Amino acid sequence: MIKESLKKIYLFLIMVLLYAPILTLVVLSFNSSKSRSKWGHFTLDWYRALFQNQDIMNALYTTLIIALVSALIATLLGTAAALGIQGMRRRFRTLMMGITNIPMLNADIVTGISLMLLFIAFRFSLGFSTILLAHITFNIPYVILSVMPKLKQTNRSTYEAALDLGASPVYAFFKVVFPDIIPGVFSGFLLAFTMSLDDFVITHFTKGPGIDTLSTKIYSEVRKGIKPEMYALSTLLFLTVLVLLMLINMAPEKNAATSAKRISVSRGHKIRRFCLRKLTPAAIIIAIVIGGCYYGSKESGHSSNQVIVYNWGEYMDPDVLDMFEEETGIDVVYEEYETNEIMYPKVQSGAIAYDVVCPSDYMVQRMIESNLLAEIDFDNIPNLKNIGTTYMEQSRQFDPDNLYSVPYTWGTVGILYNKTMVDEPIDSWSVLWDEKYKDSILMQDSVRDAFGVTLKYLGYSLNSTDLDELEEAKNLLIEQKPLVQAYVVDQVRDKMIGNEAAIGVIYSGEAIYTQKENPNLEYVIPKEGSNVWIDSWVIPKNAKHKENAEAFINFLCRGDIAKMNFDYITYSTPNTAGRELIEDPDIRNSRIAFPDASELANCETFKFLGDENDALYNRLWREVKSK
Amino acid sequence: MTNKLIDIVKVSKSFGENLVLDELDLYIRENEFLTLLGPSGCGKTTLLRILGGFETPDKGDIIFGGKNINALPPNKRQLNTVFQKYALFSHMTIAENIAFGLKIKGKSKSYIDDKIRYALKLVNLDGFEQRTPDSLSGGQQQRIAIARAIVNEPQVLLLDEPLGALDLKLRQDMQYELIRLKNELGITFIYVTHDQEEALTMSDTIVVMNQGYIQQIGTPEDIYNEPQNAFVADFIGESNIFAATMVKDKVVKMLGAIWECVDVGFGENKPVDAVLRPEDIDLVKPGEGVINGVVTNLIFKGVHYEMEVLANNYELLVHSTDMFPVGTEVGVKVDPFDIQIMKKPESEDEEVSNIEE
Amino acid sequence: MKNKKLLAGPYLFWAVSFIIIPLLMIVYYGMTDSKGHFTWSNLAQITTPENLKALGLSILLSLVSTLFCLLLAYPLAMILSELSMNQTSFIVLIFILPMWMNFLLRTMAWQNLLEKNGVINIVLSFFHLPELTIINTPYAIVLGMVYNFLPFMVLPIYNVLVKIDKDVISAAADLGANYWQTFFYITLPLTVPGIISGITMVFVPSLTTFVISDLLGGSKILLIGNVIEQEFKQGSNWNVGSGLSLILMIFIIASMALINKYDKDGEGTAF
Repeated sequence: MIKESLKKIYLFLIMVLLYAPILTLVVLSFNSSKSRSKWGHFTLDWYRALFQNQDIMNALYTTLIIALVSALIATLLGTAAALGIQGMRRRFRTLMMGITNIPMLNADIVTGISLMLLFIAFRFSLGFSTILLAHITFNIPYVILSVMPKLKQTNRSTYEAALDLGASPVYAFFKVVFPDIIPGVFSGFLLAFTMSLDDFVITHFTKGPGIDTLSTKIYSEVRKGIKPEMYALSTLLFLTVLVLLMLINMAPEKNAATSAKRISVSRGHKIRRFCLRKLTPAAIIIAIVIGGCYYGSKESGHSSNQVIVYNWGEYMDPDVLDMFEEETGIDVVYEEYETNEIMYPKVQSGAIAYDVVCPSDYMVQRMIESNLLAEIDFDNIPNLKNIGTTYMEQSRQFDPDNLYSVPYTWGTVGILYNKTMVDEPIDSWSVLWDEKYKDSILMQDSVRDAFGVTLKYLGYSLNSTDLDELEEAKNLLIEQKPLVQAYVVDQVRDKMIGNEAAIGVIYSGEAIYTQKENPNLEYVIPKEGSNVWIDSWVIPKNAKHKENAEAFINFLCRGDIAKMNFDYITYSTPNTAGRELIEDPDIRNSRIAFPDASELANCETFKFLGDENDALYNRLWREVKSK
Repeated sequence: MTNKLIDIVKVSKSFGENLVLDELDLYIRENEFLTLLGPSGCGKTTLLRILGGFETPDKGDIIFGGKNINALPPNKRQLNTVFQKYALFSHMTIAENIAFGLKIKGKSKSYIDDKIRYALKLVNLDGFEQRTPDSLSGGQQQRIAIARAIVNEPQVLLLDEPLGALDLKLRQDMQYELIRLKNELGITFIYVTHDQEEALTMSDTIVVMNQGYIQQIGTPEDIYNEPQNAFVADFIGESNIFAATMVKDKVVKMLGAIWECVDVGFGENKPVDAVLRPEDIDLVKPGEGVINGVVTNLIFKGVHYEMEVLANNYELLVHSTDMFPVGTEVGVKVDPFDIQIMKKPESEDEEVSNIEE
Repeated sequence: MKNKKLLAGPYLFWAVSFIIIPLLMIVYYGMTDSKGHFTWSNLAQITTPENLKALGLSILLSLVSTLFCLLLAYPLAMILSELSMNQTSFIVLIFILPMWMNFLLRTMAWQNLLEKNGVINIVLSFFHLPELTIINTPYAIVLGMVYNFLPFMVLPIYNVLVKIDKDVISAAADLGANYWQTFFYITLPLTVPGIISGITMVFVPSLTTFVISDLLGGSKILLIGNVIEQEFKQGSNWNVGSGLSLILMIFIIASMALINKYDKDGEGTAF
């Protein structure tokens, strides 16, 4: 008895381990606060918002379609392959099974990379079809491995008996062999579907612009903070599958009614069983697919009149895109990236022809120097007059003749701190090296920002290429590492709001939002000076829709649009017309959003330092990270 | 063959709502070859598993050598089992399989080696030490399973349909092998089978079981010649079973005629069942028998002919070395001694109920 | 049917196009520099102290999490295999079910649970127990690996366990073995194919993950997966990335060899 209850307890604990995170996500889907680490109150808003969120519904649609189509094709190919392999001689069979095992055993990252290299080498444009091909590839082995055992169990003589009785091979196969292996085929299909649904890594490497599965969508949101609609969607998906499984398993078993006495009962019983096990699940699946297709069809039918936008994550109000499409009739294909360094090779490789991209200052310079950018025809951008001249002047640091870029946002890098968690007023980078705040410091997880901060603290230029200065900075960063709670990018926001850390290095644009959510937070530009940065729109040389791109930039330069984006992303706008439109005077005159020139006295803008120095920075940074 | 070794007292066992054994009583003597015979689902394997310790009885006691062993786990019992599908350890060699029980008991290496050689010789598989189980044929695996059990010198060997998976010829060879083994080892065999021929060939005692009840216990001759009810008669050998009326002692009415028999004590004008073995029916010239009939079917069976005779609208199965072509009119005659009269069950339940020995 | 073999044709074509050739592409990139000249230097990148350390740490963490998975999964698989048939199909599906909630979200949710002011610490402080501070440490990464890959250890072991003839276990008891003797001499050796398959299915993904270390390690801990991902996605040096991937494939080939040795019949499949 004790043994039995011990087993139960053990099972229960494992279940807790498996389902605690899932429960957490379900709870979060009802959390009114947008922040992951703060509980507001119970709400169903996210479920409502979910169905209006085109992005997520599109990602869902893509995910389901890819899972369905790849699972179907993989099932077809895999079942045929299993039959063929079964008929092979031993040595070939071993070889084929060896090949089949490769995608199962190979690391996802290697599979993903290898496929990416293939697609790029053969000039496949990365997109829906490449994801589909990749998914079929890693799904086939699951089908083969599910079908093979069933095939081994089938009795060869039944197939021969069918032939003997005059059946054609095809007829014999479908009437005799197929019913025997159908459980294997079905479970192979289901497995393939699930694996496709859950895959992130391979999709991450093989996807192209304007297409996202739920996984890649989530990954790009992770750094910024997941949209709560995503929790709602996951909860719905999970519950649907749970209900399906319950129905399939709770339906009465086949052999329950064998006694002759129960014949009359068993008829109703059979119908109920059929409904529960077959009809309902099938109906639900069909409903999901149709629903997905419905949402998909709304988006489908991209005309050639489009503009492919490659922007930072969460860096534009989605309504702006809708307005642009409505007013100009140009379709926007929108893709996001997390860092300049992720964006650069994608544009450079030319595998994807983006029309308009939003790099930061030093990256604009690098792209100009690498001859990747096209000159912008400013005649097509009359709204440029709204951009403050000071910002155009500042742009000359990286775009000397103002030929290639139009400023979109700007800001500073500073320290966000929690007033209740620090003792003294903070005005210096030195606080990042204060033992008192061990495990309460959040550092930026990017080379230039981390080194920039450190170089400034040391009193050097943040564009330093002096090896000694850099070594000194590196050693300081290594010294700091034990004090750092985590290296993050946009997660600083959530963590600071949730009181997870006392001090974080953050972009000024995030500070306004975090203060709204948690009034204890304060932003400061340290006295040693910091980075003042500009993100600008540029048009790559290989853009296919240059005029549309210029129309898009022009649209963004409109005062009302700039204001909409400012409200949404809270990053300072260089658009003077837009700034005038801000209603709240506290924000319009906020020192965080629009600091005085005096505060910026010691600040510099990042410059591109050349490939060699970039490599040097990267090497030093890796040394820091791996310590 | 005199001392009681195992006494099974009022043992019941059910799985869920399914009653498999119902207050079963049975004793097994030392050095006996006892067979549990019955159709599948009759409870014979369950009984064997209870003896082996793999199931515990819901009620009742298992007394082994005077001691109650109900709570004794299998590994502490002085009996060993030969499993239906051999249950050899596929990851071990033959020698390791045979040595398993002895190693557990901590026997010396030389003792174990001797035992392995002895056991392999006993089952006629000398030199198989280093082979693996999957390289052996079914019959060979079966012998290894027996060798693995007997090296432990059990007082009782339990065999669960050990020949079920073998083909006919091999099965017959193994039957003689088992008899020889039992005589050489001088231990008790408890043998489970649904094959009446195996049971009749090897056993000292046969226990016929059906639906959890013992139907009859006796020597093979008893069981064959004097089945105590229709179930036993039907299950053992081929037979003609007819509803009959016992007119008075030694006179029975069946097949629309009055027959002489030797049975007494059934009362007067009582419904009974009568059994006629096919080989006990004599076909004679029409009019010379008790009733007349026509041969409707004829099959040559090697040792004898098998015929179906229609007489007074009853079908009779007859085995005879004489051949009567289809359509021949014949007379039917049976020696009084060969008519076996059985009490008729009054309900379905009674048919399977326990019958006192 | 003689031409049955032809049915494998499309798959063979597919496998060559999308499995073999891409792997050769990695070999090509890994063995050349950016101008297409042959070089060993990409492979030699693994010997830099940072990369060696990342590889070493990856191996260590994935060994530890594989061990934990095995220790957790074996008893679990045994308990599951003892259940009656109808229940098991349900319970096995229970392990697949979490996969329907996205892998990234599930892992992210652990942040919520483990954070300083996370759910677990709130519960702990309620009972006046000491705080659990494993977020952004290797412990959290191991937890994430165990959590994500546990089903891949449970299922192969379970599948082998249910195939063991109950009579074989009974036979061992019959021959005098007690529970633990039966376990060590019979059950454990018979489940080796499942264990090996489980080990490779946990070890390889743990070794190469970059998502789990990103999400639960606070980007403070660099695993070999992170290094490769950064070479491709940030450092934009595909040659070095391919070279490092080639190094990883050594481990993958090793695990294939292991499987071939211990699980010839493919008994230990997960599904």
